[in-house]
Amino acid sequence: VNVKGTEVMKKILAGSVFVLVAWPLLAGDIHGRVVCGGQTDNANAVVYVTKVPGKTFPPPKEHAAMGQSNRVFEPHVLAVLAGTTVDFSNSDPYLHNVFSPEACADKFNLGTFGKSEKKSHTFRKECFTPLLCIVHPEMEAFIAVLPTPYFAVTKPDGSYAIGDVPDASYSLKVWHPKLKGNEKSVAVHGPTEANFQIAP
Amino acid sequence: VNISARDLRWILRWLAAGLILFEASPAGAVPAFSRKYQTSCQTCHAIFPKLNPFGQAFRLNGYHLPGETSEQIKQKPVSLGADAYARMWPEMLYPSDLPGNVPFALNTKMADIYSSSKDENGHQVVHNDFQFPQEANIFAAGTLGKNFSFFGEFTWAERPDGGSDTEIEHARLDVISPFGPEHLVNFRIGKLAPNLYDGFQEMWLMTDNAVDTLFTYNPIGFRGGTGLSDGGGGISLPDRPRAIEMYGVAAHRLFYTVGVDQPIQSGGPNGTFGSNSKKDFYARVDYKIGGMALDGDTTGVQLPPENWREKSLRIGVLGYTGDGRDVTYDVTDDAGNAFKMQDRRYNRYGVFASCYFGDLNVFGVALHGTDRLQLLEDESLAEINETTRSYDAWFVQADYVIRPPFQVSARYENLRVADPTVPSIRALNANFSLLIRANIKAMLEYHRDLRNSQNYTLATVLRFAL
Repeated sequence: VNVKGTEVMKKILAGSVFVLVAWPLLAGDIHGRVVCGGQTDNANAVVYVTKVPGKTFPPPKEHAAMGQSNRVFEPHVLAVLAGTTVDFSNSDPYLHNVFSPEACADKFNLGTFGKSEKKSHTFRKECFTPLLCIVHPEMEAFIAVLPTPYFAVTKPDGSYAIGDVPDASYSLKVWHPKLKGNEKSVAVHGPTEANFQIAP
Repeated sequence: VNISARDLRWILRWLAAGLILFEASPAGAVPAFSRKYQTSCQTCHAIFPKLNPFGQAFRLNGYHLPGETSEQIKQKPVSLGADAYARMWPEMLYPSDLPGNVPFALNTKMADIYSSSKDENGHQVVHNDFQFPQEANIFAAGTLGKNFSFFGEFTWAERPDGGSDTEIEHARLDVISPFGPEHLVNFRIGKLAPNLYDGFQEMWLMTDNAVDTLFTYNPIGFRGGTGLSDGGGGISLPDRPRAIEMYGVAAHRLFYTVGVDQPIQSGGPNGTFGSNSKKDFYARVDYKIGGMALDGDTTGVQLPPENWREKSLRIGVLGYTGDGRDVTYDVTDDAGNAFKMQDRRYNRYGVFASCYFGDLNVFGVALHGTDRLQLLEDESLAEINETTRSYDAWFVQADYVIRPPFQVSARYENLRVADPTVPSIRALNANFSLLIRANIKAMLEYHRDLRNSQNYTLATVLRFAL
């Protein structure tokens, strides 16, 4: 019995190792380029998978971060999974503020805070919201609060890559702070390319 | 024309000076919009200040390029508020922006004016006058966010007595497409050249001389107007009134403007600008066939790469009406007896046409004016009679681009004045322009009174803008 039990354990262990090794091979990625018409570059478009059937995603424990430096929000566009807490930090030697005018972001207002201080807000609902600083009206950033963890923000050349996307068919959307969005269906099977062109 | 050998020497000297300047270093700067878009004057001007069709669209779009996107603006504006603040109105100020650099430009004009005219005794008087400089203008122009633009011109001109005159020639704010379809509804307020004169007011002409017969006719006279005003008379058309105006472009090719203005001479009672409280009204409607549309749209149109060329016809009708009661002028009859006169109602009706055929642009205006003149006793201001007088003014001008640096223009003007005892005013204006550089222009311009061959001027003008 002992010999037989040992054999079974070996098979289970071997099967587990195989699954662990092979699992990534069953997941692909989505990559491509977004061309943003009429803009100085193609950065700051958010490409994301709208839904993964039968699956929900718990909020991550790790916080995302957005800084305020030289009167500029950094990054200009931040994409997070719904439920993520974002830490806002001030690197300037004067006061800053962060608030959202959108109800989907609870119209939060973090008040003013000085250099090296940090304030946080948890974005619970899907939302696309501008972030503003009432002390410096020219400052503006955007947060895209998304339903899945499969997203990416484009680089200035428009390129993006969403990694570890399980093989399946999805609806892929693109959102931009100044341009009209776009949507297309993609069937992910290994590395999959999806390009977009968006305009005002 | 009687040009003596001495006069000819002067002309040759100036032509030689022009050739020397042609080899001079170019100015290192370009005016406000060139700086903003990092583009040449020739993007918008056939020969400054005359606009080409693209420049015309740029102007009517409130100083935004047709289909402008942020990547076309090379000199980034200073944000006065993020766009998201617009959605928070009225909880927060509506955002705007400032031009990236101070949006000023300087234009300087130097001229050598050779003039001939008859004095009171009928003798010919000839002058050759160095007017270095004749005038300098500081322009301010730009946009304040998406929906506002501005234009200003401050002019400083030297007088022969050594003094100088200054004037705010233009100061206006435009509200661009505050509602409705793009380009359809715009407003402007200020001291401005009304869109009523689009295409033929002096600021849009390539010539040095304006169309005086259209703008400076004085309709006041014992038997009606006798000629051009030397200041202080009534008006034919006010060239830069204080006005509020609505204008726009519909369906790409239909242009309209309506406005209310305060035209009659400044210096009203109690320090007011107007001599009476009445306001004048004007309107104009144009349609353009062929070429680039008035808002810059080029859908379905094949245009040549030379941006001053196209085949198009633009026609329009314009009207102006005003009430000059309570504004009293001094007049005398043939015997020298003094009277007063008021222009109780003045109406102007006109047609405008502009035709582009490749390098040639022929345009003109025909204007019919009526004035209800009330003759009053000099002392008691008792009414003696009231008569309606009429006049007709028209001009036709042909501008031709020989090659982009070389352009010529010829204009004929005719004014039938209201006083039947005074012959019509007829004038010829011929211009040769040379763009020494994109922003340095030399002109040789001849203006002749066709009623009297001894009345003429020959102007050699040098203008540069930076």
